[in-house]
Amino acid sequence: MSLTETMPMAVQADSDFDGLMTRLGQTIPRHCILSRVEDTRPYECDGLSLYRTLPPVVVLPENEAQIIDVLNACRQFQVPIVARGAGTGLSGGAMPHARGILMGTAKLNKILKIDPVSATAVVQPGVRNLAISEAAAAHGLYYAPDPSSQIACSIGGNIAENSGGVHCLKYGLTVHNVLRARVVTIDGEVVELGSEAPDCPGLDLLAAFVGSEGMLGIVTEATVRLIPKPARAQVIMASFSSVESAGKAVTDVIAAGIIPAGLEMMDKRAVHMVEPFVKAGYDLDAQAILLCESDGTPEEVEDEIARMQTVFQVAGATRLQVSGSEHERLLFWAGRKNAFPAAGRMSPDYYCMDGTIPRRHLARVLSAIEQMEDEYGLRCANVFHAGDGNLHPLIMFDSNQPDEVDRAEKFGAAILELCVQVGGTVTGEHGVGIEKINQMCVQFGREELDAFSAVKSAFDTSGLLNPEKVIPTLARCAEYGKMHVHDGDIRFPGLPRF
Amino acid sequence: MNAPVAGQNLRRPIPDGFFDPIAQKFGSRFSSAHAVREHHGRDESPYPPMLPDGVVFASSTEEVAWLARHCNQHRVPLIPYGVGSSLEGHLLAVQGGVSVDLSGMNEVVSINAEDLTATVQAGVTRKQLNEALRDTGLFFPIDPGADASLGGMSATRASGTNAVRYGTMRENVMTLKVVTADGRVIDTANRARKSSAGYDLTRVFVGSEGTLGIITEVTVRLYPQPEAISAAICNFPALESAVQSVIEIIQMGIPVARVEFMDTAAVKATNAYSKLTLRESPLLLFEFHGSAAAVREQAEAVQGITHDNGGMDFEWADRPEDRNRLWTARHNAYFAGLQLRPGCRASTTDVCVPISQLARCVTETAAELDRASFPYTIVGHVGDGNFHVLMLLDPDDSSEWEESERLNQNLVRRAISMDGTCTGEHGVGLHKMEFMLAEHGQDALDLMQSLKQAFDPNNILNPGKIIPVAVGVK
Repeated sequence: MSLTETMPMAVQADSDFDGLMTRLGQTIPRHCILSRVEDTRPYECDGLSLYRTLPPVVVLPENEAQIIDVLNACRQFQVPIVARGAGTGLSGGAMPHARGILMGTAKLNKILKIDPVSATAVVQPGVRNLAISEAAAAHGLYYAPDPSSQIACSIGGNIAENSGGVHCLKYGLTVHNVLRARVVTIDGEVVELGSEAPDCPGLDLLAAFVGSEGMLGIVTEATVRLIPKPARAQVIMASFSSVESAGKAVTDVIAAGIIPAGLEMMDKRAVHMVEPFVKAGYDLDAQAILLCESDGTPEEVEDEIARMQTVFQVAGATRLQVSGSEHERLLFWAGRKNAFPAAGRMSPDYYCMDGTIPRRHLARVLSAIEQMEDEYGLRCANVFHAGDGNLHPLIMFDSNQPDEVDRAEKFGAAILELCVQVGGTVTGEHGVGIEKINQMCVQFGREELDAFSAVKSAFDTSGLLNPEKVIPTLARCAEYGKMHVHDGDIRFPGLPRF
Repeated sequence: MNAPVAGQNLRRPIPDGFFDPIAQKFGSRFSSAHAVREHHGRDESPYPPMLPDGVVFASSTEEVAWLARHCNQHRVPLIPYGVGSSLEGHLLAVQGGVSVDLSGMNEVVSINAEDLTATVQAGVTRKQLNEALRDTGLFFPIDPGADASLGGMSATRASGTNAVRYGTMRENVMTLKVVTADGRVIDTANRARKSSAGYDLTRVFVGSEGTLGIITEVTVRLYPQPEAISAAICNFPALESAVQSVIEIIQMGIPVARVEFMDTAAVKATNAYSKLTLRESPLLLFEFHGSAAAVREQAEAVQGITHDNGGMDFEWADRPEDRNRLWTARHNAYFAGLQLRPGCRASTTDVCVPISQLARCVTETAAELDRASFPYTIVGHVGDGNFHVLMLLDPDDSSEWEESERLNQNLVRRAISMDGTCTGEHGVGLHKMEFMLAEHGQDALDLMQSLKQAFDPNNILNPGKIIPVAVGVK
């Protein structure tokens, strides 16, 4: 099974781009094909703007038949194809291929069915994440995964990246909330993966597909699970006098048998960054604050909030504040969700990392990051999904000082290596894409990379689907890549992230 | 029976001297004795045994890897064996080969209370794990009827009575150590709660029934023991009203930990077998987990629904010993059913339908079974839309076998037409292969076959299972 070297690669000598264009012109309506530079420029990158490639052509199909046709044509003429949802991805998964076509699924944006009896929704891939919850609200239901970009990101992209969000601690990731996906393979075959029943016999193709970053097929329809909207939700804001004691409080809450609806942490630097921007009423004296949410029936919430408060008090919280109204709850969260736009105002440049660690190492890793600040002479703000152990350290630097770029890169590398060292992963939720392809070599050995290649080759022998992403070749396993934001130059700067 | 009864002609030749290095390496932990082979060539399914050519009792991942390399080199089948409690012929040596018994790999490697995870070797059973967790205040919820091994439960994507609250093995396996067909060792993920690095290899192996790799170590999620637990029994005048209640409970989003259905025949069998005095009408068994207030609130909401559907008052089982008795009786429903017809063998169905279709599926099925020439019972994890019909058959009467197969096929077709599945938790094994095409379509089966081909190009890992191709099994 030594596939790393024989893995299908898509740099085709026999690729025939002109043939493809002629063929597409015969079957795809003209208004669905963009090829002038001023039309294709908006598609040159996704949310990871450091990496840009102008696509030679963008196709925006309007239905499944057209998607099948595009895939058949790409296979026939051996032209690579990259799929794109809303373009909010953070790891370059939708970055175009220089000699391939970019296919956007945004025009397939219909909610086909909301079934309140079985609590499911059937949607097309271009439907926005939040639009599902808005449509289901009439039945008292909602779609649980809530990536911070949910006002813009699409369900097709969520499936490709296995998106999470602040509530995935309790309600799971996309893989736990998608029941069935209708998928077109590079061979132009339509396949239904998964089922509405809780289990589906045979190999779990749906789980293999979710999070596959557009490398295994194109989603044309998805059935997602809806859950009843909780009667009440309240959030506690707890202040701590050290990052360590806040980290300890996180493990204490979980160890007490409470699975909060959300459990997020921000350190002092992050709080000071956000508060002037959002005015959420955060405690500026705290070294770290936790936001801990409970949802359910009023009795459950009251009970759980009381237990959480006790845990935090024992863990040494210096201040506790419980949201008294829905307005206040949303305000507490607004600060957290706007940490990245706020960072752009604080520092000319920042790197964002996405390492995830076993929860019990939180305090250790956080204090190690604090020591690294001195070592590398740079500041780092920490905001993260503490309940999942998913860190988003923001390393702040100034790229006008060449030395700082170098130090920031080394700092980031050291953090990710520490994550892997304590049993974690280099990416918790943003995906590998093009951004972390080198770091895959740190986390996985030759055997695991071969297994990834085996999955890829089972779905896509041609290697035409989103080539050169996610799985590094052995030759690549030498350097590191990072997300680099300059002068707040990040796509959709106003959009809440992480 | 659609069993490959002429299995002998599917057996692959064993090259001369193949077993010599195995005997040398494993000594007394290798056996080719008929009794040992027969023990490893059968499970709880009604199939006749299909014997492996030899059995190895492995004690480490390295040994399994060595064995895989040896088998792969000589193209000899390799079939993992946990405790042999599967129900669909998963581990029958259809093409002969080597059965690798992992029951000796039974060490709890680590318990990480702060991360709520435990890492165990594949041969650790679910009861053994819960025993090891006793002092931690944590538990592992997945409970198939048998005391299965965690390796086997992962390989078959098992679930149990409380999947409605805690999910199945799909949701609860964090990472696996797997030996590949060519004898290499893979760690599918790490202990981080979430990772978006690469394809989801963990779930590729979960449910692959030994056809993609051999699981030697499993890291699972643990849960805190709930602060309060209470169980209740609710009797109903008819099957429909019980099932309708379940549908409404799930739709309300009440987080019941367990909700199990038994029909009148199953209740009678359980009373006789487990010495209980349950009222003999269709009933639901509930269990509620949470804080004291949450449990009270859930129970009140559920009682409101069952009452509106004609259910009788709850009978409570609050003491742990009463609850244990009740759930032990439920777990033994299979054996209790067998006693209804002495000398019988049982054929079990395992369909699972979307909850909105459950009432229709159960009532149509019961109406058809009422006309059958043999007795039956229905029990089910109805909160998941999953129920089992236990058909009690005279082993000497082939017409009863044929009738039961026909009824099973009707039932599966009914379930698939309702967007359901032929198997909610028992897996495919041999018995369900014939339904895979109807359920998945040729293109999806082709993808499964490509995946199998990519991971096991020589087709040595549990060959002739899951995917109905090329091996002549129909």
